[in-house]
Amino acid sequence: MLNFKTISKIINLGPIILLYYLSVSEIDSHFENYFEILSFNIQLIIIYFWVSKRPEALGSGHIFFAGLINDVVAGFPLGISSLSYLVVSLVATYVKNMTVNTRITTDWFTFFIAIFFSNLTFFILLSKFSEIAVSVTEISYNTFFTLLFFPFFWFLFTYYNLIVTTGKNA
Amino acid sequence: MSSSRDDFNIAFRSALLQRGAAQKFSLVFLIIVASIIFFLDIYGFGFMKPIRSIINDGIYRISLVASSPSRFIPQATGSVTNLFNIKSENEKLKKALEVYRQKELSVEYLTNQNKNLRKILESDETLFKENYVLSKVLIDKSSPYLKSIIINKGSKEGILKGMPVMDKDYLVGRIVEINYLSSRVLLLNDLNSRIPVTFGEDGVQAILKGSGGSRPVLEYLPEGYVVEEGVDVFTSGKDGIFFAGSPIGTTSEKGEIKLFSESSQLSFVKVDLSKQKKEAF
Repeated sequence: MLNFKTISKIINLGPIILLYYLSVSEIDSHFENYFEILSFNIQLIIIYFWVSKRPEALGSGHIFFAGLINDVVAGFPLGISSLSYLVVSLVATYVKNMTVNTRITTDWFTFFIAIFFSNLTFFILLSKFSEIAVSVTEISYNTFFTLLFFPFFWFLFTYYNLIVTTGKNA
Repeated sequence: MSSSRDDFNIAFRSALLQRGAAQKFSLVFLIIVASIIFFLDIYGFGFMKPIRSIINDGIYRISLVASSPSRFIPQATGSVTNLFNIKSENEKLKKALEVYRQKELSVEYLTNQNKNLRKILESDETLFKENYVLSKVLIDKSSPYLKSIIINKGSKEGILKGMPVMDKDYLVGRIVEINYLSSRVLLLNDLNSRIPVTFGEDGVQAILKGSGGSRPVLEYLPEGYVVEEGVDVFTSGKDGIFFAGSPIGTTSEKGEIKLFSESSQLSFVKVDLSKQKKEAF
């Protein structure tokens, strides 16, 4: 039987497991069968939330490796997703250093800045250095929907974080 | 003013260099490593190809195992839905079968006629080649940017870059990346896909360009040409890579093509090895 400590450890590893699983599996957040333009990037939301709220739950090394795995599965040049994820992580760390108490509205706004720079890095690197063509419109839709779904995941992760921290303090 | 700039500099430097309790690497170090890996991969240094091939083969297998739960749920729900629709579908299929029986007779007649005409022309090129390798689709992650699938056959089976990939007799894409045990297929609806096609009684030539959405579009049509709805589109073979006459889809009024093969429903595909010796991609 799993004891409380092991269960608590697994729950603590939740963000890392989710990030790796989303990168390696074919589960995607692109719903072209239902609504052609609907796609969003859950990885960016996970990285931004956990780096800004509890950085010890999601190390930069894991973010880097998850990016490399995502590149292999999605067929992008190696390192491009890592760079894009690390940009989000950089903005999140900066915001964490600069602010004391944040609300969902401030997080939402700073998340927009993070994904803007992240997707800009992704687009510039892909269009200038690789032969793969990507559509600016697709990236814009993706950015828009990622931003739109952020509050939903913010509440979900805040609740999860509460469970983890309560379990720790108990 | 200078104080706020100092604050920004301190916070930014701290974000780049700081290593927290669980952080083994600083962000700036990882950004530099990621950039080096990116440029090594992009500029294709010799030693990167086998490394990338090994990494790809490994991760594709892990991805296949990791994705199995997500595959099971749609399959199970699909089976239940199919059970309810089976009666009406059976009646539709009976009607369709009658139509196809009649068409089969005319196809047989036309095939014989085609063979005889080719004999007259003394051409050794036949319409139907049978040199395929059957492959299983390992991963079909639907990325919003790239439309591709991973198959479980690679250079070990003699697959080369550029080879056409079919679902039954319908063209679905071409090979763009080869590893020892797996390959990546670029689908027809990807933004980077371009295929020369022909359609209609006049044999109109055009280029089928992936739109990034579910339906590719026809480009480079004759000036002023209006596309009619419901016309079958075939490969023209003008690029020397694809054989002429592989069916692709049917036209719509907007100049889009409804593909015969649904790219999200692929389980097994065939790679056409026929041009293996002729073409060096």
